[in-house]
Amino acid sequence: MTHRIGNTVIALGVALATTALSGPFAPPARAAGASDTDQERAARWQEIAKSIFGDRQIAPTETLVKIDAPVRALDAALVPITLTMPDSAQIKAVSLIIDDNPAPYAAKFEFGPAADPAELKLRVRVNNYTDMHAVVETQDGKLYEAKQFVKASGGCSAPMGMSDEEAMKGMGDMRMKFADAQPGKPVEATLMVRHPNFSGMQMNQVTREFTPARYIDKLTVSAGDRTVFTMTGDISIASNPVINFAFKPDGKPLQVAASDNAGGRWQHSFTPPSPTN
Amino acid sequence: MRRTRMIGRVAALLAATCCLAAAPADSPVNVPEPDGLYAGPPKGYTPQTLQGAAVIDADTLAGLMAGPDKPVLIDVAAPDRKPSNFPEGRLWLPVHPSVPGAVWMPEAGAEPLAPAREALFYARVAELTGDDRAKPVVVFCHVECWGSWNAAKRLVRKGYTGVRWFPTGVEGWQEAHETANLRVDPAWAAGSEPQAGR
Repeated sequence: MTHRIGNTVIALGVALATTALSGPFAPPARAAGASDTDQERAARWQEIAKSIFGDRQIAPTETLVKIDAPVRALDAALVPITLTMPDSAQIKAVSLIIDDNPAPYAAKFEFGPAADPAELKLRVRVNNYTDMHAVVETQDGKLYEAKQFVKASGGCSAPMGMSDEEAMKGMGDMRMKFADAQPGKPVEATLMVRHPNFSGMQMNQVTREFTPARYIDKLTVSAGDRTVFTMTGDISIASNPVINFAFKPDGKPLQVAASDNAGGRWQHSFTPPSPTN
Repeated sequence: MRRTRMIGRVAALLAATCCLAAAPADSPVNVPEPDGLYAGPPKGYTPQTLQGAAVIDADTLAGLMAGPDKPVLIDVAAPDRKPSNFPEGRLWLPVHPSVPGAVWMPEAGAEPLAPAREALFYARVAELTGDDRAKPVVVFCHVECWGSWNAAKRLVRKGYTGVRWFPTGVEGWQEAHETANLRVDPAWAAGSEPQAGR
């Protein structure tokens, strides 16, 4: 729990620092809703949203979901994203869309009865300066969207800096870290999966061949027979996926089942800590 | 052709395996200009100079574009490559943000470049400059991308005297300026033929 408070403080600090950026260090002004670029971005989002959600209405929200991402990412191949969904009981699913990535639909998380979706973190590739959208589906089947602009580029084609063989070593290995458990409270967990998540856009600089796409396309975490979440993934998820989430423990081990688009299948089980006072 | 490529590959392999720390091209400073066109891996540290061309930054480019003699802008960045095994029916929607007004001729800086493509590149530049060899021409792609170095070099060799190489490319530009999404130059696209390994 202290974790979450700490994050809020950091997020607030970032927000204040951003607001303080005026005068000579202000980022270049983006004309409010008027520039060609903004119109282009809005039109692109319409096109993407239609392709993913069809004709369903998507209402803007400032409360149901919020995206925290660095305004300027240090590494475009490893951009940390936090999705905050404080009304967690209302949330059925969340989709993350990176508008200007060539494959914009980065991930979808469908939550089960053992989930506490208040906060979800993952790391993604960003290919161009882009709007990022999070779309939540509430239990009553409605869609709501939040948006965040991120400056990073080249993340999808960035080589991994090692041979493909090296990058694939231990593929499917997993680790799980649990935060301290308190009785009756959700437990925070961090799942780390060893997998290169090759985007298919990375050129091996020595052989000049493109490494075929190989990425986790399905990952399910369950507590006993109750689902925490099922993630549908894509090439925009960073290599060696790390996912932070929270779940409602019931004393049973957490089961993780992952598969990739090349037929890889992995299963691991992790025992959460017992509650302490 | 095949032979040179093989030699290039072997050289790249050697560079990658035996002399990681010492090889000059593994540091952003002190990358020597190759004698001819560069046939190594397209991504990597580039020289700080290009003989016969000026090297410019984004501010200088913005100044040129605002000035009286508008430069011809040539973007040679490679397009996003759709993975061969990308799932059918999944959304694929690449965009290419660039300097507004640029003409996008993807991979015109490849080496080797098929003779027909090279001829088309010269023809398009001649057209865009109104056959004025002194016209300012700015060539760029991405940061740390050899394509723009090669393409600018080709124009210098062809006798263009106003060549500007803009090495930080799209990344350097978007730091402080609005971009526009480009489509491939229609003439370049029409003359398109698949490039080996691209």
